Amino acid sequence: MAQVMMKDLNKKYDEVHAVKDVNLHIRDKEFIVLVGPSGCGKSTTLRMVAGLEEITAGEITIGDRVVNDLPPKDRDIAMVFQNYALYPHMTVYDNMAFGLKMRKFPKPEIAKRVGDAAEILGIQELLKRKPRQLSGGQRQRVAVGRAIVRHPQVFLFDEPLSNLDAKLRVQMRVELKRLHERLETTAIYVTHDQVEAMTLGDRVVVMKDGWIQQVGEPLELYGKPANRFVAGFIGSPSMNFVDVTVADASGALWVETAGLRVKVPPALSGRLGAYKSQHVTLGIRPEDLRVASGSDSADYSFDTVVEVVEPLGSEILLDLKAGPNVIVARVEPTVRVKHGDKMRLALHPERVRFFDNKTELAI
Amino acid sequence: MGRARDIRLAYLLLAPALILLVTALAYPIGWEIWTSLTDLSPLNEGPTAFVGLENYRRLAADPAFWRAATITVVFAAVTCAVKLALGLGLALLLARPFRGRALVFMAIFLPWAYPASVSVIGWYWTLSPPIPTAYSVFMGNMKYAVDSALGGGAWAFLSVTLFNIWRGSSFVGVFLLAGINAIPPELFECAALESKSAWRRFWLVTVPLLKPFLALAVFLALTTAFADLANVWMLTAGRIVYPVIGTHAYWLAIHGGQFGPASALSLALAPFLIAVLFLLFRMFDPPEREPA
Repeated sequence: MAQVMMKDLNKKYDEVHAVKDVNLHIRDKEFIVLVGPSGCGKSTTLRMVAGLEEITAGEITIGDRVVNDLPPKDRDIAMVFQNYALYPHMTVYDNMAFGLKMRKFPKPEIAKRVGDAAEILGIQELLKRKPRQLSGGQRQRVAVGRAIVRHPQVFLFDEPLSNLDAKLRVQMRVELKRLHERLETTAIYVTHDQVEAMTLGDRVVVMKDGWIQQVGEPLELYGKPANRFVAGFIGSPSMNFVDVTVADASGALWVETAGLRVKVPPALSGRLGAYKSQHVTLGIRPEDLRVASGSDSADYSFDTVVEVVEPLGSEILLDLKAGPNVIVARVEPTVRVKHGDKMRLALHPERVRFFDNKTELAI
Repeated sequence: MGRARDIRLAYLLLAPALILLVTALAYPIGWEIWTSLTDLSPLNEGPTAFVGLENYRRLAADPAFWRAATITVVFAAVTCAVKLALGLGLALLLARPFRGRALVFMAIFLPWAYPASVSVIGWYWTLSPPIPTAYSVFMGNMKYAVDSALGGGAWAFLSVTLFNIWRGSSFVGVFLLAGINAIPPELFECAALESKSAWRRFWLVTVPLLKPFLALAVFLALTTAFADLANVWMLTAGRIVYPVIGTHAYWLAIHGGQFGPASALSLALAPFLIAVLFLLFRMFDPPEREPA
């Protein structure tokens, strides 16, 4: 068990600057998730920790050792790959024992460790099989088992659930979380799936174009996104963004655009004051919108027309238009509307966000 | 009714493949087997007679046959082993990125990519340059040294062997490179996480993963070596001191007109070859038990 430090970490290929000045302190026993769209540098960062990619500049420390020049084998890490990377010519047992055999562990110790891991993962019955005789979920378990038996200081997961079908993915997600709570080993987990990131991570690192956008606990990222990208990336459906102008009227700040005019919540009016008569981006999450009732203040509601209705059972997603602006709202499943209906929406004033149009940073 | 029509249709659809198989494979092989049991020869006056296993019996008693058979097997085994080793080395070299890899790849693939006749001339001139230079004098001395140490024809046979290896390694290298590229890179990376020793990783991971490709490469290397007639003939212009089965059979049939014995000769090593190939086939597609 160990902490992992990344200091001014950079990776450059011939043409591409894949990872830029990454600074990250991963605490002992922490489950940290690197998330971002493809090409954001998350996998490259993980592979540098593993030692599969050379570090162009910067430093990685595992425990109290700088590992930059250590070969992968000596870094005391274990990695789980997206496509499982099981050896087709070995049985499940041999696959799980592979790392220990390479390290010349005594046979009884190997047998004990493999047996323990197989029990934790519920794959005792499969030990004599070859990978090709296993289902996707079983293979994934074996791949995880191969990492567990090593008792490494750090687990590295590279999109381990991406090849599984949706149902199995949810199930394995829960199992991985349970496993981490049991083993308490530091883990770095890479995924492009923000739901996986939110549910698994003690902290989540959002990356884009090689830069870290924000590091934080899942609810912190959701509630206080540092910039427009994080705001749009975390949460499903995505946050609505509307380009608005800040206006001063009757002693209060308002933001307005064609078809939409709402008051700036008092808590934000101080910071937004500097943007008077400038454009900013208004961000509202679909779940922070609701059908307006008589008691809702006119300051925080606006008129829309229903374009598309998507009933999901537990909720309904509405695609609406407020003037030319497309807005998605998540409403109660009891709401009965159809295409073309007029509807007044109210928003949670304290959950509205604003972003600088140039820097895209939260205001 | 419907079923009978289905069956007829099935045979109809199979017909092109069957006709091809019968005309291109079954008929010539059948004809050769039959011929090996007769005294067929354009020099015979009377009708062709069925002689049973007489041709084979004579072969077994003929020291020339045993000599050719031994040379063939040794030739095939040696060239195959060297081609495999060199080819695998080249493939592993080309599998890792480096500057100028495309050029090296071209250089390695050229001996195979060129028509055999051109390669042969290139090789021939490598060993006996058409222009007198210090190099040609050196090669001439080499030939003299080898031939006087091992007997006339040794240099020529060495040349044939090296040519086969030169051209074959090129092919095996490119073939195995394709094999390496077909293996998910994570399998190699995963091994790198577990062991520093490239040697152990090679034997525990690379070789087993490449096994089907290695088996196929051995298969191709062996069959081309066994059937190597044209290259031997082209390189030596028919002055063959170390005959392999192929050249011996060619000599017997085309120059001697003895079709029966020549057929028997060319079939003599077939059972051995088929046994080896059977073993290889099991390697590149091992039957596996399905999950219970």
